[in-house]
Amino acid sequence: MTITPAAVDETAVDYRDPLVRLRALFDQGTLRTLTGQDDSGVVGARGEIDGTKVIAFATDATKMGGAMGIEGCRHVVDAIDIAVRERVPVIGLWHSGGARLAEGVTALDGVGQVFAAMVRASGRVPQISVVLGPAAGGAAYGPALTDIVIMGAEGRIFVTGPEVVRSVTGEQVDMERLGGPEPHGRRSGVVHITTKDDDSALAEARKVAKLLGAQGRLSPADVAEERDLAASMPPEASRAYDVKPVVKALLDEPGVELHNKWSPNIVTTLGRFAGRTVGVIANNPLRLGGCLDASSAEKAARFVRMCDSLGVPLIVLVDVPGYLPGLGQEWDGVVRRGAKLLHAFAEAVVPRVTLVTRKAYGGAYIAMNSRSLGATAVFAWPNAEIAVMGASAAVNILHRKKLAASPAEEREALRANLIEQQLHEAGGVQRALEIGVVDDIIKPTETRKRIAEALANAPAARGAHGNIPL
Amino acid sequence: MAEEIRAEMVANVWKVVVSDGDTVADGDTLVILESMKMEIPVIAEADGAVTIKVNEGDVVQEGDLIAVIE
Repeated sequence: MTITPAAVDETAVDYRDPLVRLRALFDQGTLRTLTGQDDSGVVGARGEIDGTKVIAFATDATKMGGAMGIEGCRHVVDAIDIAVRERVPVIGLWHSGGARLAEGVTALDGVGQVFAAMVRASGRVPQISVVLGPAAGGAAYGPALTDIVIMGAEGRIFVTGPEVVRSVTGEQVDMERLGGPEPHGRRSGVVHITTKDDDSALAEARKVAKLLGAQGRLSPADVAEERDLAASMPPEASRAYDVKPVVKALLDEPGVELHNKWSPNIVTTLGRFAGRTVGVIANNPLRLGGCLDASSAEKAARFVRMCDSLGVPLIVLVDVPGYLPGLGQEWDGVVRRGAKLLHAFAEAVVPRVTLVTRKAYGGAYIAMNSRSLGATAVFAWPNAEIAVMGASAAVNILHRKKLAASPAEEREALRANLIEQQLHEAGGVQRALEIGVVDDIIKPTETRKRIAEALANAPAARGAHGNIPL
Repeated sequence: MAEEIRAEMVANVWKVVVSDGDTVADGDTLVILESMKMEIPVIAEADGAVTIKVNEGDVVQEGDLIAVIE
């Protein structure tokens, strides 16, 4: 018996072919290349996504593993510059080993020019990266400089590959563990969206490009119908819940969540609201009780600055017990990194509306787009509590001696009484309304309408700054 | 492969919801922690038989093992 090798189909297309990938990204028949047939290893193109014009470029993994030389880098720079001139999103499809070794410093210079072009474009046009294969060295920092990074199942991002790691430090590690979807989606925060395959990665890129490139007009009449946003929330204030169904109920249709596994105690989602693209930021009580911490503050700060620089209004859903206390957090830089969120909100000029659903305590209250940081409007639901700390914790501190001096059998009744009093004097939402840090108390059912009206009444504006990858 | 579930933050173990050997599914609540005045559920991230490594009233530190799912 003889074994015959499987027939090789000469006409089969290589899935790594940049034109194959670009065609899959664009609407059918809309691809026009910007670059001629050359050996540069990069193809630039224009095309459409659901009718929205975009510019894209793709590294050619069939040529020297997609390594980039000066010529290829110039194609990338040209593509980005055209996108800025035409004010359209630019999408990069990455599968590249980095700079071409044979070209030496010339290639490094080219890669540096790509970085500079990305920074020039930052905050002026949406920049989206889709990492479909290994993106190493210079090709790692390219995506990292852009607004949104999407990674397919075969995508890898690292500065130095496993072999260099092994030879330098002796550490044994494979490409996936070093820089695959799991480490970058969950631990490092380099990647915003991970997908199960290349097709879904390109589909996500299309969704994001459309949200940022065709933002639409706000139409409050579209959200006049009552919808109970509190339907999925537990009645007890101390019970944790997943905020994602609340975000889903707020939006017209399911949005695109960014960084869904990294710092999951805050949710950042792009989506349509009353027909317009908005950015939603929401504390998630299911994770870490919804506390803010160093990395979630940083995650939210970058999202706020991205939305501000691209003119996307913000909706902030607040249910936060405070900043996470502890040694780990202080050493992690919760003060420095938490300050980024204060800076991002205070700097933002896009319309930004806050809704306190259940509670907002202490420094975290300020950080979550409070009136003092310049919120366009601050709403609260009827049972919301806004205070320096929860009423029971405050009573234990303020009335410690009084409680200790009371007979043990009466202590709990006294405590309950004092909590009631504390809520009335310092915590309840009524007091926040009186001093003007909350504009109005609204019902969960009319929330969509009221937020849409507040956003519509604010002048459209856009922050004049880049989007540094905080 | 065993899936280890660890504490995300310092907390009191308020309630243990399942028993050792129970079969659990991804998304089931295993234990309820109390921290920052919040009841925070610890959720299974895999299907399988569970072994609980904490008792009600324990204090767990960040990174402490709460349960193993096999």
